[in-house]
Amino acid sequence: MEGFLPGPWWQIWYVISLPFIIVGLHQLNRLVKTQRDTLPALAVAGAFVFVLSSLKLPSVTGSCSHPTGTGLSAILFGPCIAAVLGLIVLIYQALFLAHGGITTLGANVFSMGIAGPAAAYLIYRAGTRAGVNTYATVFLAAAAANIVTYIVTSVQLALAFPGTAGFLGAFQAFAAIFAITQVPLAIVEGAVIALVFKYIVTLKPDILTKLNLLSESAIERLREAAA
Amino acid sequence: MHETLEDFALNNGLRDVSPALKLALGLCCMLLSVSSPAPVAPLLIACSLTLVVLFSAGIPAGFYLKLLTIPASFAAMSILVILFLTGGGEVLVSVSLPGLPLTVTTGGANLAVLLLARISGGMCALFFISLTTPATEIFSLMRRCGLPAAFIDLSMLIYRYIFVFISEAEMIYRSQVMRLGYGSLREAIRSFGMLAGALFLRTWESGERLMVAMDARCYDGRFGALDETPPVSAPALVAVALYLAALLGIACLTMQTTIF
Repeated sequence: MEGFLPGPWWQIWYVISLPFIIVGLHQLNRLVKTQRDTLPALAVAGAFVFVLSSLKLPSVTGSCSHPTGTGLSAILFGPCIAAVLGLIVLIYQALFLAHGGITTLGANVFSMGIAGPAAAYLIYRAGTRAGVNTYATVFLAAAAANIVTYIVTSVQLALAFPGTAGFLGAFQAFAAIFAITQVPLAIVEGAVIALVFKYIVTLKPDILTKLNLLSESAIERLREAAA
Repeated sequence: MHETLEDFALNNGLRDVSPALKLALGLCCMLLSVSSPAPVAPLLIACSLTLVVLFSAGIPAGFYLKLLTIPASFAAMSILVILFLTGGGEVLVSVSLPGLPLTVTTGGANLAVLLLARISGGMCALFFISLTTPATEIFSLMRRCGLPAAFIDLSMLIYRYIFVFISEAEMIYRSQVMRLGYGSLREAIRSFGMLAGALFLRTWESGERLMVAMDARCYDGRFGALDETPPVSAPALVAVALYLAALLGIACLTMQTTIF
């Protein structure tokens, strides 16, 4: 929410987010130069994040709960490019839907664009390496992207408004309020993203092989399991 | 709602003012709001920008009010939490619910008023930008600021796909509802996953078609859009500078003001 986060916190979050965005822009440039046909894919992923995260529910903490949709783009393109997508989406939300704001952009980019996708990406990587069922991994990664986003938001709010309870007390208060709406939402989001992933595997698996996410044999196995 | 916002941005009384100037005015007002230690300057920003949006830009008051109610409801709830969480100063009101003593102190009340003022100032500045400046002009500004071409192209494509997404989603959703796709929670999750998956793939395919169409028209990684942004006019520049200077002065003068 514009104007909600006081100085110096909004400046600090800008500074923290900046290096991730620079790395993301760099990767984006390279990806678009070498594989130009991924540009529409990136745009679709971005628009997907926008539409999902626009479905917001009010929460009492000055921020609000919504599905983030960032898990999918982190799995597909890696966390730094997901951060750039998150940045673009958050600017649009601020301008067109009055979600978030320009001064709070740094904090929002960090929680929704960097921390959430990074968690999703790590879980997806660990899961595929450990050989866990692909859909279960996607479910966990997408749900984690959502939960981590809100844990980080609670940290940000508690740092800015410690009140009389101090940082830890305020963090518990904010996190508890978020948890009511966020835990069920994260589970639903995980299920939805896993379903989306299933549709991609069954209908258009060449996207996944092109991005080096799954080998053709892995997709063959998944399709056989589904059939 | 998105379309109407964009409609106003494309068709308002301040359309011919330089977008750079409008953007600068909005951003400076946001910065002033968020860094003002007292509620006077942000409230002044909210009032003056509202007048500008309603009278100079000619945005209908009903539409503007409806826009403002979205952030207002969120702001109201969060400020309530801050009001009870923050202490300091004398106790103003004390409500004792069983097991949950709630007190409002002067410190909490002052912080709540300040936050409310900052949010209204910031939101009015944000709406000023989004109601008077179309997205296409923001893109050409971004290009002139030297942001990477890939980033700007991606922003434009995302902007385009948001509208493709919304219209496709509406269509699929309506047909799912007609087939009782949202009868129970289980069904709803299944249907929503199906909707999201189908949406993702359909938009993806339309994106591929767009790339082919653009390649056929010699697309080389850069949209060659015409840059037709109006230049900065001297009187407008002076007016904005005076306005911002006055606000800064007021913010400095009223730094110590508190209500409680």
